[in-house]
Amino acid sequence: MSPIALVARSEFLRRIRSKWFIATTLLAPLLTIAIVVVPVVAITASGGDEVTREVAVRDETGRLADALAEEAPESVLFLRTGAPADSLRAQVLRGDLDAVLVLPADLLTGEARARYLSRSGGGLTLQSELRGAVRSVVRAERARLAGAGDEVLEVLDAPTALDFVTVRDEGDAAGGAEIGFLIANVLGLLVYIAVLLYGAMVMRGVIEEKTNRIVEVVVSSVRPFDLLMGKVLGIGAVGLLQLAAWGVLLFALNLAAAPILAALLGPDVAPPVAGAPGAMPTAGAPSELPFDPGAIAAVLTPGLLVSFVLFFLGGYLLFASLFAAVGSMVDTEADAQSLQVPVILPIIVPLLFLPYVVDQPESALSVGLSLFPLSSPVLMVVRMSVASVPLWQVLLALALLAVAFVGAVWVAARIYRVGILMTGKKASFRDLARWVREAA
Amino acid sequence: MPSALRLDSVTKRYGQTLAVDRVSFTAEPGRLFGLLGPNGAGKTSTIRMIAHITAPDSGTVTLGGEPVSPATQRRMGYLPEERGLYRKMKVGEQLVYLGQLKGMGAHEAETAARRWLDRFGASGWYGKKVEELSKGMQQKVQFVATVMHDPALVILDEPFSGLDPLNADVLQETVAELREAGRTVLFASHRMEQVEQLCDDLCLIAGGRVILAGSLREVRQRFGRDTASLEFDGDAGFLDGLERAGAVRILSRSAHAATLRLAEGTDARDVLRAALDSGADVDRFEVHTPPLAEIFRESVSGAAARA
Repeated sequence: MSPIALVARSEFLRRIRSKWFIATTLLAPLLTIAIVVVPVVAITASGGDEVTREVAVRDETGRLADALAEEAPESVLFLRTGAPADSLRAQVLRGDLDAVLVLPADLLTGEARARYLSRSGGGLTLQSELRGAVRSVVRAERARLAGAGDEVLEVLDAPTALDFVTVRDEGDAAGGAEIGFLIANVLGLLVYIAVLLYGAMVMRGVIEEKTNRIVEVVVSSVRPFDLLMGKVLGIGAVGLLQLAAWGVLLFALNLAAAPILAALLGPDVAPPVAGAPGAMPTAGAPSELPFDPGAIAAVLTPGLLVSFVLFFLGGYLLFASLFAAVGSMVDTEADAQSLQVPVILPIIVPLLFLPYVVDQPESALSVGLSLFPLSSPVLMVVRMSVASVPLWQVLLALALLAVAFVGAVWVAARIYRVGILMTGKKASFRDLARWVREAA
Repeated sequence: MPSALRLDSVTKRYGQTLAVDRVSFTAEPGRLFGLLGPNGAGKTSTIRMIAHITAPDSGTVTLGGEPVSPATQRRMGYLPEERGLYRKMKVGEQLVYLGQLKGMGAHEAETAARRWLDRFGASGWYGKKVEELSKGMQQKVQFVATVMHDPALVILDEPFSGLDPLNADVLQETVAELREAGRTVLFASHRMEQVEQLCDDLCLIAGGRVILAGSLREVRQRFGRDTASLEFDGDAGFLDGLERAGAVRILSRSAHAATLRLAEGTDARDVLRAALDSGADVDRFEVHTPPLAEIFRESVSGAAARA
């Protein structure tokens, strides 16, 4: 076995057997699921005693109250009243009423605004439900006033659907846009977290070897470059294994989540897995799962998954070698804090562009950022999730990333070979430049 | 495969500092070679070039006639002064890994690790994590890692520091065996009494330069028999008298014994006479070469004066 392979194997085995690895591999998916499931369970569990609001309706038009009572949201009980607005307001203030909905006479002509008076303003969900109910009732009444018959009203109520279809080589994905945005964010964040997590692991490993003084024994057996590469590759394999394990576990837990929720909440409750009920009222997925697995599969194509792995690896290799260089320059992790800023910054900055790239995947800036090697690991995957990226751009980004990686390793190895043998003295940037220049 | 280690005019610079300045010496197989020098003399810099961790700016280092390389690294065992192990790793696993880095097969490394641990009465440690071991135990493991691949050249940098006397004896025995077996042993230290006791040849460096080199006997002879040791019963005042007169320099003294370096022109008999004249009973009187520590001190300060 070559020295690099020996070092990589030892690093890999040592880490995957550690308690840390086993704990994080198992706990992270459980935690992720818990973050999603616990609020749902909690909200649904308390759903039985959800308060019904008593809302007094003062209908000055005299034509809307009946229709409105039919459109009332589940949590609202409309009470018709003729009391003057001032006294109703006083009752709300005293707490005798939860709220008052005032529908002025001129509402139908569009010259006045409906008002909802309450002490708390109502939650987001309630606001949107009320707005929808008032709007649809008013619209129907206006149409009727304009002489529209029942057929016209029916036609008006008929659903108007607009599907966003993303055209891809692998096949068209209907309704994939929202899921595309979501996947773009998840994958982008994942690359970012993974590069940072495993890059920092490389740095800690280097510092550990240095403070342990084992490094001098090791480099009397293998070249520092081999030690560096072995370490980076071994920990990279740890990262891939952990990401794969997380993927499989999350998938399995997600499959298990629906039956578990059903068991927890009773069979008659439809389990909305992602987010609180109503948080995504527009999702409109026909299935009980938050997202239609078919739609996810349409975005999360094998091509995207392969690219995700490649860009993660490329970004990891690039930044991990720089992290190793930082680790070799210091004696303790505390000393590394300030030195790792120049390494972490190029990982964080692309993240700030993530929303922009999701929004404008085809702009020149987005294309440029997804090709530039310091930002491509995060942003190319993001772009690929929301747009159809030509293959040549993906390959170009990977090639540029490979070039950047070779350059980073070249510099890092030179710093590393000197740094690992230095103790006590803090290296200045001028020292670093000399190490890189002089390495023989 | 006995292999001599040969340094020829090796020079190494770090920035503006000349760490090693045209150092040449040869360490022969079957002999224990002592590399001596005060802290900062360039010992570690020299050793790192021998171990092919760093490369000299000029000059050559050869082992068995072959320039040092990754291949010669496999025929060396290096125990650095600052040493450590992977704390979370088990002793056996660690030794096998370090053995494999030296080119051993996994099975071969395991056998060697077990044999050496047995040898040090440490067979029970194989499955233990390093962090569970005491400092002295860890040092034994480090020594095993240094010699388990049966290297032609063994480099030991201050190997005795931190060892209790019992373990020091075990180590000394093992080093003697390596010498018997025809290995080349390079022993770096600033502890003169150990070097005097163990080494066949020595090389003294200071300020990156060789100040003194040769076999232990040659070096001693070069300094002549200008040191007197005596044991006596009585008033020690005569020692102060001799020193005040500039006839001797007192290297060490206790209530009833002293070692004196004779100034030029002072005869050993003058010392004996002074002792007897003071009325002391002299139990022992011996004239010999100066102790290595004294040679070392004198050579270093002499070199500093010349520089």
